[in-house]
Amino acid sequence: MSVQQQENSDSREMVRAEKIVKRFGDITVLNGVDLSVKRGQVVVVIGPSGSGKTTLLRCINHLEKIDDGRIYIDGELMGYRESNGRLVEDREANIARIRSQVGFVFQRFNLFPHMTALENVIEAPIHVLRQPKSEVTERAHALLAKVGLAEKANAYPHKLSGGQQQRVAIARALAMNPKIMLFDEATSALDPELVGEVLKVMKQLAEEGMTMVVVTHEMGFAREVCSHVIFMDKSVIVEEGTPEKIFDHAENERTRNFLGMIL
Amino acid sequence: MFQWDTVWHFLFSDPNHLFLLAAWRTLWISVVAQFIGVILGLFLALMRMSRFPYLNWPARAYIWFFRGSPLLVQVLLLWDGLPRIINNPDFLLPDFACILVAFSLNEGAYMAEIVRAGITSVDAGQMEAAKSLGMRFALAMRRIILPQAARVIIPPLGNEFNNMLKTTSIASVIGLLELTGTAEVYGSQNFVIFELLIVATVFYLLLTTLWGYIQSWIENRLDPNRTLKAELDQKGWASRMLGFGSPRPGGAGTLASGR
Ligand SMILES: Nc1ncnc2c1ncn2[C@@H]1O[C@H](COP(=O)(O)OP(=O)(O)OP(=O)(O)O)[C@@H](O)[C@H]1O
Ligand SMILES: [Mg+2]
Repeated sequence: MSVQQQENSDSREMVRAEKIVKRFGDITVLNGVDLSVKRGQVVVVIGPSGSGKTTLLRCINHLEKIDDGRIYIDGELMGYRESNGRLVEDREANIARIRSQVGFVFQRFNLFPHMTALENVIEAPIHVLRQPKSEVTERAHALLAKVGLAEKANAYPHKLSGGQQQRVAIARALAMNPKIMLFDEATSALDPELVGEVLKVMKQLAEEGMTMVVVTHEMGFAREVCSHVIFMDKSVIVEEGTPEKIFDHAENERTRNFLGMIL
Repeated sequence: MFQWDTVWHFLFSDPNHLFLLAAWRTLWISVVAQFIGVILGLFLALMRMSRFPYLNWPARAYIWFFRGSPLLVQVLLLWDGLPRIINNPDFLLPDFACILVAFSLNEGAYMAEIVRAGITSVDAGQMEAAKSLGMRFALAMRRIILPQAARVIIPPLGNEFNNMLKTTSIASVIGLLELTGTAEVYGSQNFVIFELLIVATVFYLLLTTLWGYIQSWIENRLDPNRTLKAELDQKGWASRMLGFGSPRPGGAGTLASGR
């Protein structure tokens, strides 16, 4: 990390996105989105379907390339490096290194089906961070216990319910000791009765001080847990602020309409 | 007059083990060519799926050529053509080397498509999850994608090897004494070609049947619902090899509801 970058970014900012532009062909999915997530902050992103919430998270993790703007993870430029004043795609090793510090929880879990819950959790710490297996296994058991699945360590994903799978996925991400966790509608593929158990884990994480960006339609969770709400619509951030401000005193017409529809 | 005693002799009481040795040659040519073919196919598949044209296009051209022209012609091109191409009429590739190179290159093209189908069958979310955990492409392939693709790759790979065992008979055209070559050479010398072709056939059937057993054993091991599947598929090899054995009543349904 260059000295200049260090100066440019507040050291307490775990994620900083500047004027992100993302296009798929002709359509612009993110049109100049700014985002700042401070250490320990829980930021919730809400907005109608197709507004670009998932894409924003994927850009933060460089699962999507961006067409303009910059993203910093804990002060480091994500996905790109500067070469003669222009941004070029970063080396794979470097992208992977930064990604290993960012946990991502997918809407559809994406557990590795050929591995047990425990194997899912220990896979990356062993093969990416090259930590000793015994140590990782011990930590993995603790993480599985923390998400309430101590007794499911040896179960394969297809034997687990959706809620259990998602909790394994959270444990898998946590096993990397990430600096920040990104949740993309972690509960919306779940049967309603399973939503609570996953939200509970997320809430516990937030209380422990984990830095989180959470895309969700669970307004109750947002109100209770988060410190900052972002409302996105049509590729831009329309309004943001504290939960009280957004949920109770939204200034923007679109925000009020959306909340009126969903609440 | 068909000489049964000749068939009998070469099957059971040949002190020189002529056909046993020939079968051994057939087997190891097949194994080596298939092995190299799988490795080659893996790299070709990855090249073929790459978004970089300088990887993608050579792989496409390769697959196009080797799948689009007969193996026999490829063998002859290498055998007769190579000395001319390098302009040295005395240059002669050993027959084994020639066959192994031609068969491996050819098999690589077929395996490339099989491996590609296998990789494509794995949900895209798997690669994304692997990447999000900080895995690099090669590690994600090795640990996450290929083990899952294997389930799709192994059955057609088994069929490829069954084919390979039989396709080695093409080696006889350049005088290599595998099963077919042996039958032809000794058979025409002694006017018992039909008898010896029967002997060769018996050995081919032995090899392919044996492989059929091994194949269903491997496929059963790969199956996550192994125990359940094993019950249902006890006759799997028989139906595969011999074409009989009807699906068990309610077999597929039981399997589906078992999940
Ligand atoms: N890979 C892609 N190729 C083309 N268009 C895409 C791709 N991914 C997303 N889009 C488009 O980008 C827009 C934003 O999608 P995105 O998934 O970010 O929305 P979202 O806010 O997460 O919506 P939802 O609430 O339905 O998950 C949509 O119009 C979508 O069709
Ligand atoms: Mg989405």
